[in-house]
Amino acid sequence: MADWNQHCFVTGGSSGTGLALAVMLAQRGADVSIVARNKGRLDKALETLEAARKTPKQILKAYSFAVDSEAGSLAALKAASEPFGGRCPEALFLVAGAARPSYFVEQDEELLRNGMQISYWAQACTALAGSKEMARQGVKGKIVFVSSVLAFFSIVGYSTYSPGKFAIRGLAEALQSELKLYDIDVHISFPPTIYTSGYEEENKTKPAITLKIEETDSGLTPEQVAAGIFKVSFPPFIVRALTAAKWFLPVWRKTVDSQVKRHRAEHQEYLKIRGFFST
Amino acid sequence: MEYATVAPALVLVLVTTVILAVGKMGLFSKKWDPRGQHCFVTGGSSGTGLALALLLVKRGAHVSIVARNEGKLQKAIAELEGQRQSAEQIIKSYSFAVDSEAGSAAALQAASEAHGGRCPDAFFLCAGASRPSFWIDQNEESMRKDMDSSYGAQAFTALAATKEMVKQGVKGKVVFVSSVLGYFSIVGYSTYSPGKFALRGLAEALQSELILYGIDVHIVFPGTIYTPGYETENLTKPKVTLKIEESDSGSTPEYVADAIFKGVQKGKFHITVDFLGHIFRASSAGSSPRNSYLSDMFFALIGYVRGFGVSLRCRSDTVQIALPIWRLTVDSTVRAHRVEHEDYLRQRGYTGAK
Repeated sequence: MADWNQHCFVTGGSSGTGLALAVMLAQRGADVSIVARNKGRLDKALETLEAARKTPKQILKAYSFAVDSEAGSLAALKAASEPFGGRCPEALFLVAGAARPSYFVEQDEELLRNGMQISYWAQACTALAGSKEMARQGVKGKIVFVSSVLAFFSIVGYSTYSPGKFAIRGLAEALQSELKLYDIDVHISFPPTIYTSGYEEENKTKPAITLKIEETDSGLTPEQVAAGIFKVSFPPFIVRALTAAKWFLPVWRKTVDSQVKRHRAEHQEYLKIRGFFST
Repeated sequence: MEYATVAPALVLVLVTTVILAVGKMGLFSKKWDPRGQHCFVTGGSSGTGLALALLLVKRGAHVSIVARNEGKLQKAIAELEGQRQSAEQIIKSYSFAVDSEAGSAAALQAASEAHGGRCPDAFFLCAGASRPSFWIDQNEESMRKDMDSSYGAQAFTALAATKEMVKQGVKGKVVFVSSVLGYFSIVGYSTYSPGKFALRGLAEALQSELILYGIDVHIVFPGTIYTPGYETENLTKPKVTLKIEESDSGSTPEYVADAIFKGVQKGKFHITVDFLGHIFRASSAGSSPRNSYLSDMFFALIGYVRGFGVSLRCRSDTVQIALPIWRLTVDSTVRAHRVEHEDYLRQRGYTGAK
């Protein structure tokens, strides 16, 4: 495979899908900058990345920044651009994000905003900082968002997550059009369940009814998802979660709705125990 | 393929289709009647919200309109009184900012007082505004502000409303107002579409989750609506966006209000208001509850027509009904705008690294 000279900037790059993607890119000879918050995890991730190095000239680096703000994203981008004489990365892979499935009636404004923070702003802010840099420097790059199949539909438990993932889709739709002004390509990936440590975390507090509906789901490994993202980002077109039998979907919807209906009594008990009716 | 295996499969598809079509045609379901119901309308002092409030008053509902500006609310109440059908109707206005949970809860409580503490039966969330602009002109603050006005203005009211309805055991309705820009987007709407898509995501999750409480969820996707808000947004709308929208037709607030009312009456989940809306709805419905399986197939097919650009005259406008073709033409318009846009950037001092 030919060597690459693309500088790829991967947020959420110290674990899960982000790390898997960074490794794939490194294996193909790209320069890779991974960005995350936790220094310890970043150090370990960098070791994994080094092991995937293809050529001695590749620049493989890790940066500790919180990217869910424009300032944080810009600082991370500037740091990553330094080894390149200030030139910003050519490809931004925005993998940062998490889900905290929970019941809507147990939320408050702060929790809803938090949900948006980790499912939308964690990527939108970096997209903003990155687009501006690319536009300023005339870099005809690409921006790759990672949304979720929960941006195509939703079910009980995801009222704090689907809004953010649908919002990423809305942003990608607008930017796919608008960034043609700067010759910047936009891609968006819609993975289903991904078997990462993040997934184990979310299952600890996921509502029982949600777990039940998802019982029969199968997921993908981070490597599988990364391979899918990679294949589609080069060459560019938008990835969609393909549903083979579209006519079946309304039937599926009815069965899920019935499951929820059957859960009503148990849920009332749950709310009573949590003191919902006494506040 | 063996005929013996194809035939049963086809029969199954046909039977499923007929069952779903009949079920969704509402032959056996009751229509929602607003008479005697307490309807809570945010953004209710102007535009679509006011038009909807007027319609509901005319149909005998109790109506509480909520907005910020006291002056506009007073004028609106006068209009609502003009439509009063009976002395029993409770028609009131409340001045609150609903883009927070606290504000929404306060407005809700105030509105419930006139009803002995019982919370409203139906929430029509019409609050929101659009501010089309270029993406690279944004900063984090402006992005968040626009998200608050396109998403927050409805999400937090939905939260306060749902909690109250669940506490009181009221099997009510929550009606979101999104936009066709919650189905697709173009240049200029990078801070608006995310919010309108987010509303759709919330509605999708809640449609499922609120079955736990017997609460119905609806979401409306209007196109352009001719309101004072629309005129304001056009003052600062990017030229390339105006150009793409040149051939669009819009609707009056009364037309949209009527469509919302009929959609809620018939129990529709996604409510679209015009032909383009119907096509987008049918093309992206996925697993969302369908309104009418048969007509959705018609609209989806039109949306998917490839290869030939077919024009259809619809209410004296030419509408390209092949969505992929439409996408290609929009993308070309943007590309053609590049040179002019570079001048725009240069004028704004947008050169060199910061």
